[in-house]
Amino acid sequence: MRPTRRTCIAAGAALALTAGLAACSDGGSTDDGGPVTLTMWHGLTGPDGPAFQEVVDNFNDSQDEVTIEAEALPWDSLYQQFLTAATSDDGPDLVAMSASRLPQYAERGVLGSTDEFYADDTYMDTSVLAEGAVQASVYDGVNYGVPLNLGPVLMYWNKALFEEAGLDPEAPPTTWAEFEEMIPDLTVDENSDGTPEQYPLAMGDHSTVPVFPSFLWNGGGGVVSDDGTTAMLGDPASVAAAEHWVGLVQEEQITPVGMSGADSDQLFQAELAAITINGPWMTAGLTEAGLDFDVTVPMAGPEGQSILGDVVSMTIAQRLDEDQKDAAYKFFAYWESVESQATWANGSGFPAIRTDMPEDAVTNEWAAVFGAPEILENVRPYLTGVTGSGEINEDIFTPALQSALNGTGEVADLFPAAGEDIQAVIDDA
Amino acid sequence: MRFGSVHTVAGRQARAAWMFLAPGLLLLTLFTAWPLVRTAYLSFTEYSLLTPPEWVGLENYRALLGDDQVTNAFQNTVLYAAVVTPVTIALALALAMALNARFFGRGIVRTAVFVPFVVSLAVVSIAFRFLLDPNYGLVTHWLSAVGLAPTQGALAQPGTAMAAVMAVGVWKNVGFYMVMFLAGLQSIPSDLYEAAQLDGASRLQKFRAVTLPLLSNQTMLVSILAAIASFQVFDQIKVMTNGGPAMSTETLVVLVNRVGISNLEFGYGSAVSVVLLLLILAFSLVQYLYFGRRQVRY
Repeated sequence: MRPTRRTCIAAGAALALTAGLAACSDGGSTDDGGPVTLTMWHGLTGPDGPAFQEVVDNFNDSQDEVTIEAEALPWDSLYQQFLTAATSDDGPDLVAMSASRLPQYAERGVLGSTDEFYADDTYMDTSVLAEGAVQASVYDGVNYGVPLNLGPVLMYWNKALFEEAGLDPEAPPTTWAEFEEMIPDLTVDENSDGTPEQYPLAMGDHSTVPVFPSFLWNGGGGVVSDDGTTAMLGDPASVAAAEHWVGLVQEEQITPVGMSGADSDQLFQAELAAITINGPWMTAGLTEAGLDFDVTVPMAGPEGQSILGDVVSMTIAQRLDEDQKDAAYKFFAYWESVESQATWANGSGFPAIRTDMPEDAVTNEWAAVFGAPEILENVRPYLTGVTGSGEINEDIFTPALQSALNGTGEVADLFPAAGEDIQAVIDDA
Repeated sequence: MRFGSVHTVAGRQARAAWMFLAPGLLLLTLFTAWPLVRTAYLSFTEYSLLTPPEWVGLENYRALLGDDQVTNAFQNTVLYAAVVTPVTIALALALAMALNARFFGRGIVRTAVFVPFVVSLAVVSIAFRFLLDPNYGLVTHWLSAVGLAPTQGALAQPGTAMAAVMAVGVWKNVGFYMVMFLAGLQSIPSDLYEAAQLDGASRLQKFRAVTLPLLSNQTMLVSILAAIASFQVFDQIKVMTNGGPAMSTETLVVLVNRVGISNLEFGYGSAVSVVLLLLILAFSLVQYLYFGRRQVRY
């Protein structure tokens, strides 16, 4: 029987569909050990994006065995899309995510362990990496990531505003007490209407880097213990530290209330606040805006001077086979090499993750400041290794803090109650 | 033979009708009915999207009864609906009556009132965030100019934040409901007003005896749509306050989004969704029965 025209068209369509599906299937490894292509999602959409892509391009050009196809998405979209993609096994092979987000996915078996990368020194000697950044991706005794970046959160101060206030522009406050002495000088209320035109501090209370928890640390308290097992918000030291700062906000109006992190950045960039506390990603915008600023270690509290460390880790999907894992580890090792870290630090202003960088390798002024050994050795990650970190910070701690700051509740009532809720989340995990 | 041909014609007509209905029914099944059934099922499970659903019976419903966050979101939702729905309807009716009269530039004013409805709610919300910004906002500037400088941004205080998102909700949707009322007003025969005029009716009497009864169909539709929209409010709150400060503007849909997407508790989020569905159904039924008895036909 001769095939009809319709049969021929159907057969052709089926062939095309098969070819198309084959082309659409995961790049992955080939059975004969041929080149491996790995897809990667990351959220470096700011000035740090091109620096990351430059390293990826250099890696792809440096050898023929592994190709990394990196795609940048805004962090919010990345987390939402990764969630649905992971459920269908159709997600990226590698994904960069905040280390504090990682336990949420690791617990549900979506991510693969990277312990092998640290154990096998044929990839690299991982002891040269900043310990805090490496430990940030450990969950339940297993490491699920390799650090992509480490962002120490430091104190920025506007030297021009300090000078206008009659203060030494080279002498930012080093302690809480020094800061309090400067409050009258750094507050400007020209029309005496009770609302300052210039504030001593710009600090967001939501959608921001967790500045307030670092105040609790330096007052001897915290949100959750470092081992992630105990809520600390109700501890007397946490309550005392919070009452101190809430008092300054309400009585001295050191910062506007209700700002997001982005609002806080804008306030500082518009020179309406003299001090802010933020990561290295802010330096590029401030330099471009022509601000006369500098950066230093945040002021010490009565119980310490911890530096918050924001860590983004590169993780691998659970489904990767041995060849794909090997390819991923090769890329990780390349990323952590001296050459790549120099490219990254100089292009982004982030510090290098290696602690053994040659002196002349990092030429970016801000990368050198944020990457100073005394800073890298003292960074303290927030809520890493805690399964319900998002819920603890966004749903419990932030509302309690906002209620305290806007005066709808008292710290002494809000924080212990929030501490109990946090403990319940930890116990449920 | 004669019955058979009639049957065949009817059959053909039925088949044609199903063929025309099929695409719509398919879309309705895929994107409305199936998600509804699936949500109802998931509300009885513990489900993180990353692992298979695990049947927990009524556990999610028991948990939400004692959950302060659900109570808070429920109160915020009811407050929002209780204020925004009547205000929007009253304002829409007032605008429709004002813009039903003939005056120069009527078309431009009608368009100006309707335009907010077709602008993306996300864009509107971002614009209002800038307007209300405590440092750069135009509203703040105006208030300062008359000696009412706010010490905090409108979106930073629980009371003013809720008022701000309510105001945006009313401003955004009032034009749409105004158009519906306008269509109703234009379908009222003018001789009824003339008769009322001859009977010596005042403007208020004409409004109460002619306009309101003859707009009952539109009022019922607008009330149900406005109430449903209020109970489902999400976009402007997500963009303007994200439920803050201190969850003072978190409504049930915002809570569902937070619990389901951010915390990966899809089972619990589905249970809250089912409760919201039942709430809307009950409210719509009450409205339908109330207005159904008061429908006027001439």
